[in-house]
Amino acid sequence: MTAIELRGVTKEFADVTAVRDLDLTVEDGEVYGFLGPNGAGKSTTIDMVLDLVRPTEGTVRVLGQDATADGVAIRRRTGVLPDGFSVYDRLSGRKHVEFAVRSKETDDDPDALLERVGLLGDADRKAGGYSKGMRQRLALAMALVGEPDLLILDEPSSGLDPAGAKEMREIVQSEADRGATVFFSSHILEQVDAVCDRVGILRDGELVAEDSVEGLREAVGSEETLEIAVGDADAAATDAVRDLDGVTRVDRDGNTLVVSCADDAKTRVIAALEDAGVVVRDFHTREASLEDLFLAYTEGDAPGVDGSGGSSDADDTDADDTDDTDAATDAEEVAR
Amino acid sequence: MSLVAIAEKDFQDTVRSRGMLILVALFSLLVAVFAAVLRPGGPSGEFATEFLLSFAVGPFLVTTLVPLVGVVVGYNAVSGERESGSLKLLLSLPHSRADVVFGKVVGRGAALSLAVFTGFLLPAVVLIALSQLGQLSTFNAGAYLGYTVFAAVLGVVFVAIAVGCSAAATTQRQALIGGVSIYVLFVLLWGAVTGQFLDAASGLVDPLPVSQQQVGVFLQVSNPTTGVELLSNAFLGEQLFSGEGLNQQISAVSMLVFWTIAPPLAGLWKFDGDDL
Repeated sequence: MTAIELRGVTKEFADVTAVRDLDLTVEDGEVYGFLGPNGAGKSTTIDMVLDLVRPTEGTVRVLGQDATADGVAIRRRTGVLPDGFSVYDRLSGRKHVEFAVRSKETDDDPDALLERVGLLGDADRKAGGYSKGMRQRLALAMALVGEPDLLILDEPSSGLDPAGAKEMREIVQSEADRGATVFFSSHILEQVDAVCDRVGILRDGELVAEDSVEGLREAVGSEETLEIAVGDADAAATDAVRDLDGVTRVDRDGNTLVVSCADDAKTRVIAALEDAGVVVRDFHTREASLEDLFLAYTEGDAPGVDGSGGSSDADDTDADDTDDTDAATDAEEVAR
Repeated sequence: MSLVAIAEKDFQDTVRSRGMLILVALFSLLVAVFAAVLRPGGPSGEFATEFLLSFAVGPFLVTTLVPLVGVVVGYNAVSGERESGSLKLLLSLPHSRADVVFGKVVGRGAALSLAVFTGFLLPAVVLIALSQLGQLSTFNAGAYLGYTVFAAVLGVVFVAIAVGCSAAATTQRQALIGGVSIYVLFVLLWGAVTGQFLDAASGLVDPLPVSQQQVGVFLQVSNPTTGVELLSNAFLGEQLFSGEGLNQQISAVSMLVFWTIAPPLAGLWKFDGDDL
């Protein structure tokens, strides 16, 4: 059985086409990470699965039923953590979960659910006073009511600190172990890699890639990232490197140059720097990070993607690339 | 029951709102002031509960303030949640959009009824005190309680109209404009608007087997405030569902039912087709 099935789905709003002829299948029991930059159409797609938005064309089936006609029956078996929601400010956290329990007609213990998301201590406070992260936990507790067959989590880690994001992943993992299908969206690949069986990458309303993380990594190819510790690299030197054959991007992070290039271009990069009078103190290569991978797909350098490559805004995230890669590799090992 | 769950949640949410508490306190205070000011001088005064209700509290407070409270309670019922995003939380649970709209009517209607009963409680205490002190010849508790029911019915009708408008509105601003328009139309301009309508439609009415005057009367009682006024006065005069005004009373009741059901249905029709 398929948990979510979109066939030829297009959604046009008055001024924009948010989703274009999208086919998407999420199998029963699978953990599916739905990725894409902000504005790619992820939320619109999820809203159509939840029947908050109706497709202009195409069919959306969830748990074998029609999303619009059988919405209530579907949501009885689905737990949802929506994006951009707000809570009922005047009601306590416990009242929220009690309401979800009543709505789903189950006999869950609200306190047990609040305990599970780490909110039991604040259960009697009014939700209006909760932080963003606490609201996120509260909505997760509501989503877990009734052991749903399908969990739909829209940007589940937003507003959570790293520890909270880790707890979120653990809950996702344990729900998957229980047999639930998990479909979640994120604009950060690192968050989904550790738990996902499969990822789909959405860009401008179209699915540009769909595979396991390893599969995507192979598809992007033999590109490597070279990190070079330099004494002082001026703009001319950076440009010289950027102009070399086989170099796809160059970012500068303090005294480190981060160069994405083909395997055989490495020596030429070093040589070009030395020709430009730059002192190369140290360098090492690493596998393309998930961040690089994601940007390759969403900015158009990946195979099979015809885009012209947008401007990069990755500079501010490069600083901790190495750490992220290590963490992701660790997580992969754990997942295996 | 999905609708009941929503109604209950909404009731709890509404009775915790500060705006409603302020309106109830204001209402209660005004009725109490009316009762105290209007009491006749000396123990022989011909003052009765019915008089106070149908000539003072009724026209000056119930038909103006209760609809206002109803509109205030109802206008943001759906649009407010839609704008804030809590509607996403609500609709991620197994509720239909119809459950949402009618659950809101029930929940907020119940909250308003509670408010009306609370609002009449303080004046009741004043009136009982006055009658105990001999200032008031009689305090008719039955009439007072019955009248409170009519006031609550009026409030519920306005909640229903406002919730319907709220469901149809895309933004909170539209809902607010709609709420104000409802109030202005039903409370301030009904006579003028229906008079215009009647003049304009006289050519249409003539061939029908009803007189212009009958249509005029029907239009009058089809305003929920007039309808409730008519019914409550009949009740206080012990003429409810009897006597000469029977036909008018039946019209009034059917129009109250109509106003409670039709606006939420119309709002739902729009809401159900919307992308949220």
